[in-house]
Amino acid sequence: MAGLKHVRVAVDIGGTFTDGIAVDEETGRVDVAKALTTPDDPGLAVGEVIGDLIARLADGQAGVASRVSEIVHGTTLVTNALIARRGARSALLVTRGMRDALEIRRELRYHLYDLNLQLPEPLTPPSLRFEIDERCDAHGRVLVSPDRDAVAAVARELRAAGVESVAVCFLHAYLEPKHERLVGSWLQTMLPDVPVTLSSDIVREVREYERMTTTVANAYTRPLMARYLHTLETRVRDLGVRAPLRIMLSNGGFTSAAVAASVPIALLESGPAAGVISAAHAALELGDATRVLAFDMGGTTAKAAVVIDGQPNVTHSFEAARVARFRRGSGLPVLVTSLDLIEIGAGGGSIAHTGALGTLAVGPQSAEGRPGPACYGRGGTELTVTDADLLLGYIDPAAFLGGRMTLDVRQAEIVAGALGRQIGCDPIATAVGVREVVDESMAAAARVHIAERGYDPRDFVLVATGGAGPVHAVSVARKLGIGRILCPIAAGAGSCLGLLAAPARAVRSVSRECLLSDYDPVRIAGGLRELGEQIESELRSAGSGAGEMSWQLEADMHFAGQGHSVSVPLAWTPSLAGPPAASIRAAFLAEYQRVFGPAPNEAAAIRIAGWRLSGIGRRSAGRAFFRRPDADDQPVAQQQRRIWDQQAGGFALAPVVMRSSLSPGCRLQGPLVIQEDESTLVVPVPASVSMLPSGAILVDISES
Amino acid sequence: MTRSPLKLDAVTTPILWTRLVSIVDEAAALFTRSAFSTLVREANDFAVLVTDRTGRAIVESTLSIPAFIGTLPETVRYFITRFPPETLAPGDSFITNDPWLGTGHIHDVSTAMPVFSRGELVGFVAIASHVADIGGRLRGTGAADVYEEGLQIPPLQLARGGELDPVLEAIVRRNVRVPEMVIGDLRGHVTTAAQVAARVADLLAETGVDFAALADSVCARSEAAMRMAIARIADGRYAYALPLRIAGTAVELRVCVEIEQDTVTIDYAGSSPQQPTAVNVVPSYTRTYSAYAIKALLAPDIPNNDGCLLPIRVRAPQGSVLNPTYPAPTGARSMIGHQLPAAVMGAMASALPDDARASGAGVSSFTLSGRHAGQTYAVTCFANGGQGASLRYPGLSALSFPSNMANTPIEILEREGPLCVLERSLRQGSGGSGHRSGGDGIRLRFRFAGDEPASCTFMVTNALLGPPGLAGGGSGAPGRLLINDEEWPIGTPRTLVNGDVVTMETAGGGGVGAPDVPPSGSDPAGHCVFR
Repeated sequence: MAGLKHVRVAVDIGGTFTDGIAVDEETGRVDVAKALTTPDDPGLAVGEVIGDLIARLADGQAGVASRVSEIVHGTTLVTNALIARRGARSALLVTRGMRDALEIRRELRYHLYDLNLQLPEPLTPPSLRFEIDERCDAHGRVLVSPDRDAVAAVARELRAAGVESVAVCFLHAYLEPKHERLVGSWLQTMLPDVPVTLSSDIVREVREYERMTTTVANAYTRPLMARYLHTLETRVRDLGVRAPLRIMLSNGGFTSAAVAASVPIALLESGPAAGVISAAHAALELGDATRVLAFDMGGTTAKAAVVIDGQPNVTHSFEAARVARFRRGSGLPVLVTSLDLIEIGAGGGSIAHTGALGTLAVGPQSAEGRPGPACYGRGGTELTVTDADLLLGYIDPAAFLGGRMTLDVRQAEIVAGALGRQIGCDPIATAVGVREVVDESMAAAARVHIAERGYDPRDFVLVATGGAGPVHAVSVARKLGIGRILCPIAAGAGSCLGLLAAPARAVRSVSRECLLSDYDPVRIAGGLRELGEQIESELRSAGSGAGEMSWQLEADMHFAGQGHSVSVPLAWTPSLAGPPAASIRAAFLAEYQRVFGPAPNEAAAIRIAGWRLSGIGRRSAGRAFFRRPDADDQPVAQQQRRIWDQQAGGFALAPVVMRSSLSPGCRLQGPLVIQEDESTLVVPVPASVSMLPSGAILVDISES
Repeated sequence: MTRSPLKLDAVTTPILWTRLVSIVDEAAALFTRSAFSTLVREANDFAVLVTDRTGRAIVESTLSIPAFIGTLPETVRYFITRFPPETLAPGDSFITNDPWLGTGHIHDVSTAMPVFSRGELVGFVAIASHVADIGGRLRGTGAADVYEEGLQIPPLQLARGGELDPVLEAIVRRNVRVPEMVIGDLRGHVTTAAQVAARVADLLAETGVDFAALADSVCARSEAAMRMAIARIADGRYAYALPLRIAGTAVELRVCVEIEQDTVTIDYAGSSPQQPTAVNVVPSYTRTYSAYAIKALLAPDIPNNDGCLLPIRVRAPQGSVLNPTYPAPTGARSMIGHQLPAAVMGAMASALPDDARASGAGVSSFTLSGRHAGQTYAVTCFANGGQGASLRYPGLSALSFPSNMANTPIEILEREGPLCVLERSLRQGSGGSGHRSGGDGIRLRFRFAGDEPASCTFMVTNALLGPPGLAGGGSGAPGRLLINDEEWPIGTPRTLVNGDVVTMETAGGGGVGAPDVPPSGSDPAGHCVFR
């Protein structure tokens, strides 16, 4: 086998399909495979897709399975387990007096006027929450030490209750973790089969409720994830593959299956993160796209993320399993590092209706797969975004999902007519209104997201993925003042390309509070080197060599007296001293100014709350080329159809082109529609359209 | 880029309104993250809103305090009369903490900054927030008049060109216990308002929309929806009396809600007179929480703005506890004011039996100030209680209602002042019994650990008399205060010494309907006095 290059495989589980892609680095050949997602046993479809890919690569030759060098996997399993409450029977150990913290929450209402608002149920019931006599104060000094016998008594109760996973969250453990570690090690001895999650291992941040929900969510999903990954590894072995399984993290990097199994909460946005990496990677082909808006629109939601100089923005807090969609505060807070993805709106299945004021509104209710949009002819009686797109000529009723499904235009007209009568519009004007509401609200949310981070949308390139992404991308870009839209190859497998492009990544943080005036660069360097060693070992387990790693250091800082910090990026290489105080100060003031505006008082004391160190493995340099062998040289406009021209405000005939008939380098003019099996790129305005060498399509509307 | 102005129709209006919501929500997040006072950055005790140039509320931050949403437009309207629009410049900011012109007690500051678009004044950004300290006696029921309560800031210019007025800054610094926190938050008001003003101006420039026309459109739609909702209720007079016991004194809120076609008149004639303790509720606060109940009952999902208020009139007799005369003390006004929605819902329960909620616990709190390790501290922590039940849903436990104030995390609280929290738990069984039971209150116990004795004041709501149930539901357990396990009168400040243990128990919410299985000890008659 020596000398032969490797085959890399990526598999992503989506709501409807599980997609896979294999890249043979020997021949450059790319294969894709697809299977219906198997919600009851998601690994089944994953195994099927991997098996299918290997069969295709082998072409009857033996030995291909052994050439697979890695399998990178993205999954929504953790998110779904939290939403559907399918996690393990979990217990929580807290400091004496804090047993109800999960139910007291922050005492806030997320909707001021809803008298009947409901809150998310805690993941552990009261009967499985136990108080331990132990205490540290706000400076990390020990007031009461935990007692082994008391913990043993709790352990007996845990065993009797059939607990499968345990979370431990003590007050001030973000500062002084030793009680958690002590109790954790006792439990490990007393209950060797039960995994124990310590809050100080998962999140080193002040505020006990948010840290506790994060810790419990990790414990809750841990057995499930461990079982899933174990079964999947077995399935992969059975296919003759000896390569390690790597798992995509919410933070845009990947890690080993072993780490993923112990910190599943870090996988919360695993799938969508891969989509963002994919978009970032696709934009590299343009050479000059320093600011990218990754725009992903599927059946139920649309998401967006900002990528600057190839680096997606990250956030350190998140909310899972919201009771009320789009209502901030209605979910379980989860403090993990995640790509800064926001839900910007509805998806293709979202339902249009009249709001309380007789105005047109879309979503958040979705027809999802069943009954689906009215035009699916499966009993849907309400107008969805997909129905509106159909009525405006953007989707071909005969070619949906590559012709596997025929759409019923008449049904779409009926439901559009019914809604139209309520707002005094005809069916077409209603469909135009739905498009306008959906596109404008997505653009508005994206605009705020971009503005909050201090950028101007007009400097961006929009990269569209997801089934409905290319249908809406050009309209949304136009509203944002974005001139260029990129539609990468294989929208369905788009996330998989991201999985292969992602680097290995590991993050560790430490809470070392001090005034900047008391900061000691030598002392901090020791702590950071310790984190660095943990990171190196994790990255090695994910396949990175020591020389291939790069480092990112951030200090969380604020003015003394403030309670929230800004993350200040600092230069770092493992060495004997941390960054000098003067450069930290300058970096903080610059970042504070960028995020919040003028500093309250530049002479005021500055505090460092903690440090976060990330190690990043080598980024895969390869780029997938995805040329159809049967592509003709000349684009063939196979048909024409009436589509709604948004600039002219009326229907006009436009060419309809099959994407598979296009070759790199070809140039076309909008308005037009480019169809492929999984999606349709709609260019409803004048534009210059070209295919790049990779097969991605670039739409330029900056002249129109 | 010039464009033809957008038509403000059923599609465009909500889109623009949503963008305004995004702007103020983003500003609210910024204000929280850069705030110094734990009241803002942990407890959410603030609001940001945008008015038009006449002071009509157009849009508010989503998680705001309802009281501030209602009082801020009145503050702006006063500023307009005091500081003529033609004299205003970008970056100006105005301030007051006058209870009658502001939010009802001097512990909150209200500010407003003009918004200009193409050189024209189009509106104001208004912000109210609870400051970490305002001097005077620590907040509680004890003050005899507003002079004792602390520094009064009459309507004044806070900033010019975005810079704080140095005279005002010096006066505030000298009068509060924690000047860095208070001044830091005042700067936050100015910075945040400037950002909102810039974003609104950008939106108007980008869309070519006339803000006055947008304001008319938004308010007209909400007003029409509100009138439609009111018209669905049978005309008539709906009455209720809510008994309260505050700092040892009985106070009664008598309310008559009159529905006449598409208007509501809420009259508090017969309510208790102005009190010698600091529980008096100024008229704008009375109006705000009364109208809030109507909005939440009838039209929770329509955009909230001035249009929602137009069909609602609120009256309280001059000299009553709901319309006191200056210089009445008002610091603890929420102890009564938070019960106004319960009074209105009690009255409406016969017309809207499914949705009306029984009385719940208003927010309780303690305020602690002294010196420790050479530093002066001032700490306030809120503790909410049980929500009242409705016929359809039980009350939730430990929930802020009708306000929206969060607890302060214990890990933050213990950094801000020398105390050690021993327990923050639910008071199991404290919710009133009934077909649907009230939510449970909270038990908060802490040990004082300061080097020097420190002064502590308490506001424990619904003490002595728990929130009554509705339609035969039982009362919630009353709030309680214990120091070293002995009852302590809630209106009396206490000097705490190292080792003292304070226990606050917040009230449970009232139940609704007769219990399916009658529990022992409940009050089967309840206190409801349906018409």
